[in-house]
Amino acid sequence: MEKDFLEHRLNINRRRFLSRLSLGLGSVALGSLLIPDLFSGIGSDSEADFIPGIPNFAPKAKRVIYLFQDGAPSQLESFDYKPKLREMMGQELPPSVRGSQILTGMTAQQKSFPLVGSFYDFKQYGESKAWISDLFPHIGSIADDICIIKSMYTEAINHDPALTFFQTGAQQGNRPSMGSWVSYGLGSENKNLPAFTVLLSKGKGNGQGVYSKLWSNGFLDSIHQGVQFSSGENPVLYLNDQDGIDRRDRRKMLDKIAELNEISYKQFGDPEITTKIQQYEMAYRMQSAVPEIMDVSKEPDDIVKMYGPDCLVPGTYAANCLLARKLSENGVRFVQLYHQGWDQHNNLPQEMAGQAKDVDQASAALVTDLKQRGLLDETLVIWGGEFGRTNYSQGKLEKANYGRDHHPRCFSVWMAGGGIKPGLVYGESDEFGYNIVKDPVHVHDFHATILNQLGIDHKKLTFKSQGRRYRLTDVAGNVVKGILV
Amino acid sequence: MIKSHHKGFAENLLFALNIFIIFFLLFGGGIVIPQWLQPIGRLHPLIIHFPIVVLIMAMVLEFFRFKERLRTEKLYHEFTTYLWLTGALFAGVTAIMGLFLSKEQGYDGDTLQFHKWFGVSVVFVSTAIYWCRSREWYSQKIARSGAVATVLCLIIAGHYGADITHGDNFILAPVWHPEKKLVPIDKAFVFQDVIEPVFDSKCISCHNPDKTKGGLALVDKRSVLKGGKDGKLFVPGQPQISLLLQRIHMPEGEKKHMPPAGKPQLTADEMNMLYLWVKENADFKKKVIDLPPSDSLRVIAANYLKPTEEEEEQYDFATADDKLIKKLNNNYRAIYPIAQGSPALGVNIYNKKTYQPKVLEELSGIKKQVVSLDLNKMPVKDAELKTIAGFENLRTLNLNFSDITGATINQLASLKYLRVLSLAGTKLNPQAIKQIGAIKSLKEIALWDTGLPDDEIAVLQKANKNIDFIKGFKDNGKPMKINGPQVKNTAFVFTKPIELELSHPIKGTEIRYTTDGTDPDSVKSMVYKPGIIITQNTNIKAKAYKAGWYGSDIVQVNFYKSTYTPDSISFITAPNEKYSGDGAKTLIDKDLGGSNFGNGKWIASQKDLIVYMQFNKPVDLHTVTLNCLRYIGTQIFLPIAIEVWGGKDATHLKLLSTVKPAAPKKDDPFIVKGIDCQLATNRAISCLKIIAKPIQNLPKWDPVKKQPGWVFMDEIFLN
Repeated sequence: MEKDFLEHRLNINRRRFLSRLSLGLGSVALGSLLIPDLFSGIGSDSEADFIPGIPNFAPKAKRVIYLFQDGAPSQLESFDYKPKLREMMGQELPPSVRGSQILTGMTAQQKSFPLVGSFYDFKQYGESKAWISDLFPHIGSIADDICIIKSMYTEAINHDPALTFFQTGAQQGNRPSMGSWVSYGLGSENKNLPAFTVLLSKGKGNGQGVYSKLWSNGFLDSIHQGVQFSSGENPVLYLNDQDGIDRRDRRKMLDKIAELNEISYKQFGDPEITTKIQQYEMAYRMQSAVPEIMDVSKEPDDIVKMYGPDCLVPGTYAANCLLARKLSENGVRFVQLYHQGWDQHNNLPQEMAGQAKDVDQASAALVTDLKQRGLLDETLVIWGGEFGRTNYSQGKLEKANYGRDHHPRCFSVWMAGGGIKPGLVYGESDEFGYNIVKDPVHVHDFHATILNQLGIDHKKLTFKSQGRRYRLTDVAGNVVKGILV
Repeated sequence: MIKSHHKGFAENLLFALNIFIIFFLLFGGGIVIPQWLQPIGRLHPLIIHFPIVVLIMAMVLEFFRFKERLRTEKLYHEFTTYLWLTGALFAGVTAIMGLFLSKEQGYDGDTLQFHKWFGVSVVFVSTAIYWCRSREWYSQKIARSGAVATVLCLIIAGHYGADITHGDNFILAPVWHPEKKLVPIDKAFVFQDVIEPVFDSKCISCHNPDKTKGGLALVDKRSVLKGGKDGKLFVPGQPQISLLLQRIHMPEGEKKHMPPAGKPQLTADEMNMLYLWVKENADFKKKVIDLPPSDSLRVIAANYLKPTEEEEEQYDFATADDKLIKKLNNNYRAIYPIAQGSPALGVNIYNKKTYQPKVLEELSGIKKQVVSLDLNKMPVKDAELKTIAGFENLRTLNLNFSDITGATINQLASLKYLRVLSLAGTKLNPQAIKQIGAIKSLKEIALWDTGLPDDEIAVLQKANKNIDFIKGFKDNGKPMKINGPQVKNTAFVFTKPIELELSHPIKGTEIRYTTDGTDPDSVKSMVYKPGIIITQNTNIKAKAYKAGWYGSDIVQVNFYKSTYTPDSISFITAPNEKYSGDGAKTLIDKDLGGSNFGNGKWIASQKDLIVYMQFNKPVDLHTVTLNCLRYIGTQIFLPIAIEVWGGKDATHLKLLSTVKPAAPKKDDPFIVKGIDCQLATNRAISCLKIIAKPIQNLPKWDPVKKQPGWVFMDEIFLN
């Protein structure tokens, strides 16, 4: 009898437990409706925690061309017009303006910080009335097509960390490059070309190196690594068949290697093996796609006048701009250019004129060229360096000769196309061009915005490596809505 | 349990409330609410939720009241009754509060009237049912229809109420966008299409005829001019004293700041537009294009009018079959959804060698879904536009550098959504392209490099104002400086005569050159042709010329003859570790160092640099040339002295030559210079010792002190 009672009570408890459970499950199910990504796999702990190849929302830009001005061009001789600095030429930088800014070892010992205004005059261009220096008349002529951001800032004060920060979202340099993230997130548009390519050029100005870690895939699959196109006879290294091997032999060889690789993939399951197979196949297709892209002989005369005659001289910035357009037009997601020589610690007026001459016409031509092909809407062009330069002179200040040290607190970049508001000047610096007074844009914000234009939520593009999920924007970044169309 | 006299009291109260409401409705026009009662009225939006919940609960119970099983449940019936009563009572109290509130300033209009009448109907219907529900004739049918009617009234009243507090279409606004009227810039009016939309989006939810907060409505010219209870909105031409601008420019924390904190704020552009509009005399009639092109208001307005056209696209067609997409995808035909979960597809075609019309025809299975089609550089013919016209939802079409002539362009008129058409680089027929207006939805067309003359495009633009015709870059005929000739030679040190190899990337360019150190010109200087042989040390200066261009900068290149190569070479004193190149042989490898002294091709030392050479067969040596670097800023100077020793063997060396270059000056330019040492006597030499001495004491003007200068050498020529 007692046993029966006990059993009955247990039954009641069981029933209660089960009914509570069903209720609980019901509420969980209901609650889950409010969490959009709960069952989609995104953000779960599974290995494939992102599905590559699909944007999160309809993109404005399909492709990016990033014209990186390596060495950090001075904002004060380009896009940030500060007449006050001319008025105060030679006077000391007020300590209140400098605040707590730490200086580089190059000027920290300087006893005096004489303000120096731009050696070059500024003019207003276009309907947007943007102030642009006389060093960049061609960029001035497209002022209504570009958006100048005068309020960029970064955290690093030396070239390598600052450059690495801009390219990978971290200063240390073991992370994937922005182009690699984009390749990982969106995949390749044209299967006959890599999704991420790199082009290098060098001006006569004082230069800083660029290194392949800047276009490294980091912890991402190696297929997302930037592929460098060089100016020599073999634009892509090891792409051409060796002497004595014809296309058919190559095909046979690739088929055989692929078979062997398949076998070893079945054995070990290492995804890098499939990557290898894909890379061989892409290289094979690139053998016919690349020569066509590199061939500039069929470009009409107008193009030569537009980009400047140097665009026919391989390895120049102008040639790289033209090439960037051709690559982009052929579906390369991310074309990264670097033009070295912008590190004007001294002799700035003369060196910067040379650098500007290298890039001014071709940069503007690239934007116009994309526009006249109806491609500017879907291509995002970015122009800028890794930081800015100080408003005071490094070394002795002479009327026509001065230098500027590194300045991370405030500098200018510009963007065009890809859903960025044209004819806009965004952000403001103080009258000394030293601090930002309106709409600051951090490097993380800059990255978030670029990804946003590509249809990617920067918070969702993640990759898990060594126990942690990484993003291009680390744990920060806000889309700069003010510059979007 | 509530005792029955309480129930009786409550029933009486309900009756009283109903009467009061009827009274209020009949005589409301004359009623003035005393100030102390106003807070009671303002509680209306709070209390309202109570009767809604209670009444709905009661209605549900009532609905099932006549069910077999429940008919006899006493508790069920009692509970329902009390719920009814409570609900009706609260409905009455709330309605009265609402009536009080409606008397306050700022509530008016149709929405309010609807809300009022449905609200009081809830009270009346629920009261009526309460009284009838215990009668004999009260059947299941009546109970159910009564319950449904009450709930309906509740919902409708609630909806209108929400419209008053949250603005029209509050609930569906995030998902349902009424189609925005697209106003092309040339048709837009400043007030109607620029200023008014700002009011509409940010102000009108509180300032409308239904809810005139501060006595202000911002719905049309009349109400805008009328202003509110604090006076006129603006003084034309004087934004700084205009109420409108004062309010919007106040700090957001300020009580009088508009829009109130928490509501969507005006953007900088919107504030600017209002400011400029008032500043330019608050004109109600002007068109945007009547303003001067550089006018700030026009510039901002043009920008403001654009985004309305670029609203996030909504696609209402079905998603294509995944397997089909996968099947159609190949190396030269990329098909991809434009976003995760979007039915819209983009298609890019690559490789003109594999392109055939069937590449497009095969897409018939997804023709509804394709919104962008990229056929850049594909040999697409006019006939294929018929296939393309089948992609009914196409938005962007890229036909750049295709074989289209435009003859069949009107086929595309069936594409209702086509916005961007790129025809750059095609050979368009000027007559055919005139049909372009047939594509009504077109916004942008790229016509660069199509051979269409500017005036034709201007005519097209005039006829089709809604389309943006992109002409692109045109050579304005202004000459530009051509770039310099390129030197294709790779070796500049020769033993046997070599050919001069110059070229220019631009076809039809003439290269002129000199060998005597003078600057080349376009008339007298020699024209470069392949086959020019260099036999001795030569300094070439070359310049490129082409009609329509300015002459290029001068390109300079030096060729060095080095007749003899020693069989062995070694350092007697080791050079600096950093600049030791590939050992002593770096100096005779016939590879010049160029301008970058850190590239491993330069040998350098701060001490005497002594090199020893041996020849297996004696040579008849006349000149020894040391190719040295001078770079003043980095303490690199030409050697202060050079000694050349020679003889038959190591033990019989004699001093054959001493050269002392001129002392350095502060502004000596960067230079790479061959320093010739003429040997005193011609004799057969088997051994040679060369000493290059750096400056021991730097000149006074050099900032660096207390260290010797550097000697840099990349090559030694022996002749």
